[in-house]
Amino acid sequence: MGKMKLFAGIIVLGSLWGFAECIIGPALGDAGLPSGALMTSVFAIGLMMISRMLFKRRGMQLGMGLVAGALRLFNPFGGCVVCSAIAIAAEGLLFELIWYKMSLDFSELKTITMKLSMGIVTAYSCYVGGYVITQILTPMVASAGFYVENLIVFMPQILARGLLAAIVGGITVPAIFVLKDININNVKDRIYYPTAVSVSILCWVVVIANALFLMGA
Amino acid sequence: MIMGKEKFILLAAMIVILIGAGSSAYVYATQTTTDNITINGQQYTIDQIFYIAEPRTFDSLNFSGIALDDLIIKTGVGCLECHEYTIIGDDGYQKTVTWENMQGGLLTKDGMTVFSDLPKAYRIKNIVKIEVI
Repeated sequence: MGKMKLFAGIIVLGSLWGFAECIIGPALGDAGLPSGALMTSVFAIGLMMISRMLFKRRGMQLGMGLVAGALRLFNPFGGCVVCSAIAIAAEGLLFELIWYKMSLDFSELKTITMKLSMGIVTAYSCYVGGYVITQILTPMVASAGFYVENLIVFMPQILARGLLAAIVGGITVPAIFVLKDININNVKDRIYYPTAVSVSILCWVVVIANALFLMGA
Repeated sequence: MIMGKEKFILLAAMIVILIGAGSSAYVYATQTTTDNITINGQQYTIDQIFYIAEPRTFDSLNFSGIALDDLIIKTGVGCLECHEYTIIGDDGYQKTVTWENMQGGLLTKDGMTVFSDLPKAYRIKNIVKIEVI
């Protein structure tokens, strides 16, 4: 597979992830749903699994995290923006670390139990890791300063909230396996590139337009 | 080799579920439910707090309540700049802020802190305690 095709894949899937973080996440939060756990376990894990499954390459998920984090910077709402962007990129890194030893043909994940288990472990680790990073970075960026005892006493809450992410992640990963037989190489370049570029541009335009609209409101 | 990896993944998933469930049970068991707020070791009702402290409004954020710095002054804390202030919610969530931050902070009627110069992570809901450290 050509590097250009991989690069386009990183951009489009990372943009979709960033779009979800900036537009869908706040909407879920406004609806009273646990947006953090759902964003990680459905969108972040789902899109990273799709990339690993379709492109069968390591490193893509970190790239996607960086793209999604960059897009988050263009949506300056909902607390510490830089911290959120770094936390999103960190989720990509954590996914890479967890899946590093897994074979690219997923030979270890033949049974539903294995798929479910990987979903649980990945979603929980990414959610808790991202949450902890945000809790460390936000006070450091803010004028108040970071106090480790504040994080320690809140750790049981973070570990408890991760349970929902783990359960939903246990559903997301096996569900993504329905795409296992799709071969991205069979998609013609004249369809692949225009689609990737269009979807990416649409994601960025909607996020930036939404930010400008909210700033003007 | 694959069998070993499979067992490890299964074990890791079971540990994750146990940690999550155990933490949930711990959080539920230790959750504080009180109508009072303890400030520097003394208990106050929300009505008392709103009686003694001056009101403050953040028009741009659409929040109003009482001024946190005035509340600390009225509760008799000395050398205000010498201390830091840890605000604790009923779920154990806590954040430590400086006196400068307190001067731009308010407490809403439903017990949430809002700071004009700090991100949303410092909006602590259902506060049960303000520790002066």
